[in-house]
Amino acid sequence: MKAIAVHLDRCTGCKTCELYCATERGSNAKTLLQAVQETPLPQARVRVEGSSEVPIALQCRQCAQAPCVDSCLTGALRRDPESGTVVIHENDCIGCWTCTLFCPYGVIYPWPERKIALKCDRCLYMESPVCVDACPTNALELVDIEKYEEFTRRKRLETAAGLQENEHLAGKLLLDLVQTR
Amino acid sequence: MDAVIVGGGVAGMQAALAFRWQWPDKTITLVDTEKEVGYYRTLLPQFMNQTMTEKKLFFWGLQDDPRLKVISGVTVESVDPRNRCLFLDNHEKVYYRRLLIASGGRPIVPGVCSPRDCNGIFPVRSLTVAREARDWLPKHPEVVVVGGGLVGVKTAAHLAGHNFSVSLIEKENQLLPQALSAAASRLVEAHLQQKNIRLLLGSTVEDVQVSQGKIGAVQAGGKWLPCQTLFVAAGSLPELNLLRDSDLLNEDRLEVTPGLQTLDKNIFAAGDAVTIVKDGLFTPWTWPQAVVQGKLAAQNMYSSSPKSLNCLSRVNCMNLNGLSLVVLGVPVPGAQVSIYSRPKDGIYRELFHRDGKIVGGALIGNISNGGRLHGMMNSGENVEIGFDELLKPQINTFFKGSPSCTRYNRRASVLQPEGV
Ligand SMILES: Cc1cc2nc3c(=O)[nH]c(=O)nc-3n(C[C@H](O)[C@H](O)[C@H](O)COP(=O)(O)OP(=O)(O)OC[C@H]3O[C@@H](n4cnc5c(N)ncnc54)[C@H](O)[C@@H]3O)c2cc1C
Repeated sequence: MKAIAVHLDRCTGCKTCELYCATERGSNAKTLLQAVQETPLPQARVRVEGSSEVPIALQCRQCAQAPCVDSCLTGALRRDPESGTVVIHENDCIGCWTCTLFCPYGVIYPWPERKIALKCDRCLYMESPVCVDACPTNALELVDIEKYEEFTRRKRLETAAGLQENEHLAGKLLLDLVQTR
Repeated sequence: MDAVIVGGGVAGMQAALAFRWQWPDKTITLVDTEKEVGYYRTLLPQFMNQTMTEKKLFFWGLQDDPRLKVISGVTVESVDPRNRCLFLDNHEKVYYRRLLIASGGRPIVPGVCSPRDCNGIFPVRSLTVAREARDWLPKHPEVVVVGGGLVGVKTAAHLAGHNFSVSLIEKENQLLPQALSAAASRLVEAHLQQKNIRLLLGSTVEDVQVSQGKIGAVQAGGKWLPCQTLFVAAGSLPELNLLRDSDLLNEDRLEVTPGLQTLDKNIFAAGDAVTIVKDGLFTPWTWPQAVVQGKLAAQNMYSSSPKSLNCLSRVNCMNLNGLSLVVLGVPVPGAQVSIYSRPKDGIYRELFHRDGKIVGGALIGNISNGGRLHGMMNSGENVEIGFDELLKPQINTFFKGSPSCTRYNRRASVLQPEGV
């Protein structure tokens, strides 16, 4: 299964991803110039958060056990059987917002004007996600979740090893201190 | 039969599907009183006001699965745990190895609201009754709803604005008394009044007038209200009639462990029928809970290492005809309160907290960050950035404190966390 991941060191917080997502996925016109004149204003499924020093583009992580799907009161949120992606079927969504309350990452957003909830489905029915294509710094990347998990597992092990090393050093330092007293 | 489920509501249906997936070689039978199973009970108000078709109500259609048998239109009258047998109202018996009771709830109908031989009175719970109400409503637009809890408020809000005149009677002095503080409920009340719903708070139904076999008027708080259609949404109780002669009940409660097991190791229970015992009694009777519990019970039925429910909260969210509302939990004794309020914009957000942790609250008019606040409440996370900051309706709040790497990692799939 695939999800969109972010290179933290490349994200500048420019919000290009938001603009293109809102235009391509939220507007009727599909061009930026016309999209900004639409009412209601098209909304993005990716949102840039964080401080200006450390911005980050956030979107749905396509959880394996998705609480949003379990909480949906109408069956609008369903997992695509082929790709595993969690998709909101807008025709079935009544805008009760229950899914927004059950997403622990806070990446499902109410769109009250259209009475639907919004989440990233990584542009399932397009060739590639528009945010990934549009990002000027290549900060967004479509990754294999399994590979990503392997990556984080390795990171965790490295961090743990680093901590152990630090503890070892701290212990040694303490011993040195005690011995020099 | 390897397993039998009583109740084809959402807990029972989810359990049946999860059971088939988890134990592909085992057989399962599901029995339900209603003619149809697997529909969205939560959408009945929209179905009754004709904004939703009947087809859209169903989340499950009968599939050709030889190991899943559905018996609908039949009630389980009693259970004999010793012989592992169910007695049905069609005089048949069904034997089980494992049993799941997912019989849900039944509406409380005060005696005064059920006069004999009177048409036009509808308890809000089942599709069968909702269908009758849907047919009845167009010619009987003067509506009274009894009960200002979740179901009553939803019903009233969805009927208002569809050419019905709607009055709502609640015995407490506020709406949603089991979900909101009095201050929070004021906004809901103002919103419903704006939608032309007449509120009678602190009132109960004292009398009803029946004329020519139909409801004609309702007396509440000393006043007579014209009424052609009466919806009863005065709360619900677990439907446990089938267990009345068994040893499974404790003071009318069907108590289960957090792994959803009853006193009998072969009998599990889930959804609105149960009371969960875990350092106290919990009755999280909501749709999302019924889904999660149904799935968990199915997994645990034959598991050698049963799992426990990790969330017992009764949180809820709704859109009341334009007013968004999140319920995280009612005021807790001894908890502190933090409030963010913008009355001009119809926004009121409050959090109840103890020892630096969120224990309840409500977001009204602006529900941003609801998911994160719910997540923090569930995990018992310490609030580092201050509750006032947390309550502000803006998306960046959660990174304002210290934008640590772990915080990012938890919310995004971060590829290069170095250098943060
Ligand atoms: C109008 C309305 C709106 C709601 N809105 C919301 C909402 O917005 N959010 C939310 O979280 N919750 C909401 N709820 C509550 C939610 O619907 C319930 O929490 C949920 O349906 C409980 O599921 P369940 O499977 O436990 O029980 P039920 O859905 O009640 O299903 C139980 C089933 O068991 C069957 N049964 C009972 N006894 C027997 C027997 N002896 N033999 C055979 N069959 C039997 C019944 O016929 C029924 O089909 C709403 C409820 C109503 C009525």
